[in-house]
Amino acid sequence: MPGDNVNMPETSERRPRLETLVGTAESVDDARVEIQVLPDRGFLNLRLDPRHDDGIAAAARVLGQALPLAANTFTTGVHRVYWCGPDEWLIDADVERTASLRSELAGALTDCHAAINDVSSGHAAFGIVGNDARIVLAKGCTLDLDPRAFGAGQCARTNLARATVLLAIADDPPGCKIIVARSFADYLHRWLALAARQRDASS
Amino acid sequence: MTIPAVQPNRLPRGGRIDRTRRLAFTFDGKPCEGFAGDTLASALIANGVSLVGRSFKLRRPRGIVGSGAEEPNAIMQIGEGAAAQPNVPATQVELYEGLVARTTRGWPGVSFDVGAINDVFGRVLGAGFYYKTFMYPRSWWRYYEHAIRRSAGFGHAPGEPDQDRYEHMNAHCDVLVAGGGPAGLMAALTAARSGARVILADEQTEFGGSLLASTESIAGAPAAEWIAAVGSELREHPDCTLLSRSTVFGYHDHNFLTIVERCADDGGSSGGGTVEGSPQSAVNPVRERLWRVRARQVILTQGSFERPLVFCNNDRPGVMLASAVSAWINRYGVLPGRRAVVFTNNDSAYRTAIDLADAGAEVAAIVDSRGGGAAELGRRARERGIAVLEGHVVSDLTGRRRVRGVSVAKWYGESRATVSPAIRIDCDLVCMSGGYSPAVHLHSQAGGRLAWDDERLCFLPAESRQANLSAGAGNGSQSLEECLADGLRAGKEAVSRLGLKAVAMSAPATSPFAENPIEALWRVPAARDPDRCAKQFIDFQNDTTVADIRLAAREGYRNVEHVKRYTALGFGTDQGKLGNINGMAVLAETLGKAIPEVGTTTFRPAYTPVSFGVGAGESVGELYDPVRKTAVHEWHEAAGAPMEVVGQWRRPWYFPRNGEDLHAAVARECLAVRNSVGLMDASTLGKIDACGPDVIEFLERIYTHDVAGMKVGRCAYGIMLGEDGMLMDDGVVARLAEHRFYLTTTTGGAANVLGWLEKWLQTEWPDLQVYLTSLTEQYSTLALAGPESRKVLDRLGCNIPLDNDSLPFMTVRQAVLAGMPVTLFRVSFSGELAFEINIASDLALAMWKTLMEAGREFDITPYGTETMHVLRAEKGFVIVGQDTDGSVTPVDLGMNWLLSKNKDFLGRRSLGRPDCVREDRKQLVGLLSSDAATVLPEGTQLIEEPGSPPPVPMCGHVTSSYRSAHLGHPIALALVAGGRARRGETVYAALPKRDPLPVRIVAPVFYDAGGQRQHA
Repeated sequence: MPGDNVNMPETSERRPRLETLVGTAESVDDARVEIQVLPDRGFLNLRLDPRHDDGIAAAARVLGQALPLAANTFTTGVHRVYWCGPDEWLIDADVERTASLRSELAGALTDCHAAINDVSSGHAAFGIVGNDARIVLAKGCTLDLDPRAFGAGQCARTNLARATVLLAIADDPPGCKIIVARSFADYLHRWLALAARQRDASS
Repeated sequence: MTIPAVQPNRLPRGGRIDRTRRLAFTFDGKPCEGFAGDTLASALIANGVSLVGRSFKLRRPRGIVGSGAEEPNAIMQIGEGAAAQPNVPATQVELYEGLVARTTRGWPGVSFDVGAINDVFGRVLGAGFYYKTFMYPRSWWRYYEHAIRRSAGFGHAPGEPDQDRYEHMNAHCDVLVAGGGPAGLMAALTAARSGARVILADEQTEFGGSLLASTESIAGAPAAEWIAAVGSELREHPDCTLLSRSTVFGYHDHNFLTIVERCADDGGSSGGGTVEGSPQSAVNPVRERLWRVRARQVILTQGSFERPLVFCNNDRPGVMLASAVSAWINRYGVLPGRRAVVFTNNDSAYRTAIDLADAGAEVAAIVDSRGGGAAELGRRARERGIAVLEGHVVSDLTGRRRVRGVSVAKWYGESRATVSPAIRIDCDLVCMSGGYSPAVHLHSQAGGRLAWDDERLCFLPAESRQANLSAGAGNGSQSLEECLADGLRAGKEAVSRLGLKAVAMSAPATSPFAENPIEALWRVPAARDPDRCAKQFIDFQNDTTVADIRLAAREGYRNVEHVKRYTALGFGTDQGKLGNINGMAVLAETLGKAIPEVGTTTFRPAYTPVSFGVGAGESVGELYDPVRKTAVHEWHEAAGAPMEVVGQWRRPWYFPRNGEDLHAAVARECLAVRNSVGLMDASTLGKIDACGPDVIEFLERIYTHDVAGMKVGRCAYGIMLGEDGMLMDDGVVARLAEHRFYLTTTTGGAANVLGWLEKWLQTEWPDLQVYLTSLTEQYSTLALAGPESRKVLDRLGCNIPLDNDSLPFMTVRQAVLAGMPVTLFRVSFSGELAFEINIASDLALAMWKTLMEAGREFDITPYGTETMHVLRAEKGFVIVGQDTDGSVTPVDLGMNWLLSKNKDFLGRRSLGRPDCVREDRKQLVGLLSSDAATVLPEGTQLIEEPGSPPPVPMCGHVTSSYRSAHLGHPIALALVAGGRARRGETVYAALPKRDPLPVRIVAPVFYDAGGQRQHA
């Protein structure tokens, strides 16, 4: 794959992915809902057969945490590992750790049919916190976001407004992380800001 | 605004209005006044307005008939300027300070309308008049249409952009209760107490439904106290959402329902409540909210509509539904007349007579078609001194702009019999009740069946097709006691279906009494022939009469859906809520059938009209559709590049220098690439990582070329076909490792191709071990093209040799360029020596700037999509979706060399179909304009003979056309029938507003046909 065998230089050339977004849409910040532009993270996309016990175990050893096998859940350890499909996970790691994690995973899975891709550059993340966060999300997401139906530790690839996102609910700290394809970040940020402002005005 | 001191028809006391809050409004420019809690309709009646519109076809004067969603006549234009709303029934407009209402009918005005001449000629304007009259001569339809359209519709849509905000909200619940009357409140209370997640929606400003207009008591107290108690209990439930001013207008598949909530139904000037009872905000920018609800169970408690009675001139202002009159008196404290006649075939209208008498009006008579009259309510009416004429009907009416009196005749129970007028009674108000039709709209939208009830004379909800129940008046309940009990039953049933345990509770006590059954009275026979008498209206809004329906039946229309379309019965903004059942009954009588045999027309969303604004929600302006930006976008913007919209992407179109226009900039950019070096952002191309032990086998089946023969480090141009053999997408296939490929797709095809490949892997070939990962967003693609491009890369410093032997055309290498890791493709879409640099998007902007800096001495030129198009067209490279349209095979494009004969691939067998091997299929060719100057518009049709009479046969069309700066003349690509064999021949381009232009068919490659330059 592109970039194979070459570590990403952490040079001054790399700029924060959402640098141009900060300040372009009105940010909303009050007790009820806050939209956060999150610092860059590294992301690895892992595809692996869940029936391949050795592979699953090998990946868990490298990651230091289990791959979630239950649909729409994630595990939290040093990294976060999101279940994205029966044979697909997204690993959310420190930017600096991503390249080494990638090669370690590749090394551990040489005997498996697996695909490990660094997709850090292709993703951006927002946070939404506050008591009204679920209401703001409900404006653009058709999932049942009630905590009883979609609570901490759960994640889902779904649509938020007109963008495909990965939503993940955490309780420590409480809030929802929204991972979105890079090119949609500007649109989604504008949408989130509008949805939060309207909520602000109408409640 | 000066406010008149009095509202002549306002009662001194009573009603649910707030008399301390006076609201000024205007009606057709006249200042009026009402109170908070009024609707526009109740305020108009309070102000003595009885003429509110003109009918659709005959322009007859019309007044307010109903008090809710069924109102057919009082259709207003509300507000002014950008906030104006056409098509609004006055009965559904909450009065607010400064409201501006206008009638939408009548020229020059509603009180004098020159169109009323139509009424005089009404006899010739029967059903099907338009169809019969405006057919001939056919060519005149364009003139007819203008005139007819001008006279249609209610009001005018504003021309200015809508300033209001709308939003969408998704919600899930265990039980959605549609309608907050007695049954709905009871059902919601039962479900909430049993622990279900409940949404209760009601279209009115406050819950209570029919109770708001009633004088009945519940549990020994006025009904209002019970409503308030239920409301406050429901508000206490954390899992209960109460939506007032909210109409459930659509019941879709899988228990998905749509609700429109009017948050600020006043043009945004005062702000409305969002959730009923919540504190009102000073700023509420959301005018309407669309709720999209997925409910596990639905309880439909939408009540019922009172039916009018059908007699001569029954449309005159002053003829109202009895239930509406009770609402005016009890809910709004207005008295719509001083001397009333109540005409009924059932007990319920007696309540209205009693309400009128108690409010101080004179009730001249209750005219009851039933020989036995009413039971207990008859006694109460007589107690008040009201005369009851049993076994009588109102047969005709006098008065034009306001009813002045009625003719009352004896009734023999036979609609074919002629009625001789016996008594004349003066009055200014007629209250009519033809019984009640349950509002089965949502039940029917959900696919539920209806069953005719011969006792209650109405269609009742029968089997449901989805998870829904009906209760209350909408389920045939006739008394308050029945409604409350039915609501309780439905609530318990829904709860048990959910697997919850219903709490033990009972319905509150009411004071029921016996009522006599309704009698069928679908139309009152006229003293003369029913087809020649004064008009007996069935559908007020569309001027559909008994005679129209009879005419339709005589002309052969049997099916109710056909009769609807012929007579316009049930069309319009009210969708026949008032008149449909009467119309079906008259049709049934005329056809000699029973009503259930005739059946109903189809109920479709929306139940009441819904604004376009709320349908759009937040998706307007910059949020209309996502705008996708590449990692280099900000550089393009800073460079002043106009953007081309490519799907959701924005791509730089061209980079103007010193005020250049498109043509000048593109000519300069093209020459720069041909003569020196240019740089383009191609990041929007789709990119897919494909790996696994079976990846070769998989790609062999997908692509048409020999994939297995590609060595590691090789690239190939790859095309994929649909199963029909048509070209679906194209791109570069690069073999990065033994079992790893990197695939590119077109910009528009990125998501579809990934889905297509996954579909085959997951559903057809699960045995193949291949994993796909989208890398479209991860990598940016910078295309460096031109004879000097290698020198630019040399300046940057690359860790691998870039000479033609080490990195030949159509190869790929991992490399480090200017210290940044890249994948370097030696591919070309311009025909020049070129490199496509794939780099992590985080570094793309830095790489772009580095390249621009390193290329400075070669005057490196950023170029946009337009130059890219010209360069590729000069080389005859097609663009999927521009030069192809889903009906083009690779053979049509001359790509036979790409079709491997040694393997099978998707679409291969289709290429052998007789239609695919026709020699006269449209084939890709080049075109040169004979005048060497005309740039043919893309899409231009090509013809053989310039002078042929129409219809002129077309032999092809232009797919791509540009001015070529390098060649000095225009070029075009086209698909021409049998074109490959016709090189050198001349065809004609049919151009608008000028003579057809001769064009010469040539090979579709205009530049460097040998391909030496890209191999340099």
